[in-house]
Amino acid sequence: MNEWELAAIVLMAALVPCVAVCAFASAAAALAALEVASTLATTTLIVLSEGFHRQPFVDLAVVLAVLSVVGSLAFARLMEGDI
Amino acid sequence: MTVGHVIATGLLVLGVAVEIVAVVGVTAMRDVYDRLHYVGLAGFGALLVGASVLVREGFSLIGNKALFAGAFLALFGPVLVHATARSMRTRQLGDWRDGVEQHREDEPS
Repeated sequence: MNEWELAAIVLMAALVPCVAVCAFASAAAALAALEVASTLATTTLIVLSEGFHRQPFVDLAVVLAVLSVVGSLAFARLMEGDI
Repeated sequence: MTVGHVIATGLLVLGVAVEIVAVVGVTAMRDVYDRLHYVGLAGFGALLVGASVLVREGFSLIGNKALFAGAFLALFGPVLVHATARSMRTRQLGDWRDGVEQHREDEPS
């Protein structure tokens, strides 16, 4: 196991508290946790791409980075009302 | 072990540490506005990891894309924080401007 795979394991483990906040905290706090979790997932894909030398993972990371920002902005806009 | 390898590993450790701090912050803070401070921080962790891959690989397909993804998250993190905070304020008060004028009058000139 190289340092990149180790970093990927740590980052994936860090997703667990974010999921817990999403599940048990208020909707507003869940949105903040979702934004951090999406950044973690993007970073995990970057690290896995380097660890396994597989370029498709970094393509996924680029797509996820853009879509997570757009999705979070859409969530934030929708949550101005009562949902 | 080359100097580039040491720098890449250092940047990787620093980036992962920054992201762990962001996770601890978003988990431990009570208020949503306190939690939002850590969203922007996580983007800078991604930027450090992207820089780490760039140092390791150079300007290759993986290096360029890793740096782009990290830079994108670091750049749009504050935008996301602002939009979310504004949205939460609107959700709580009905209009995000409520109380702003009163706050300005209370500030010492």
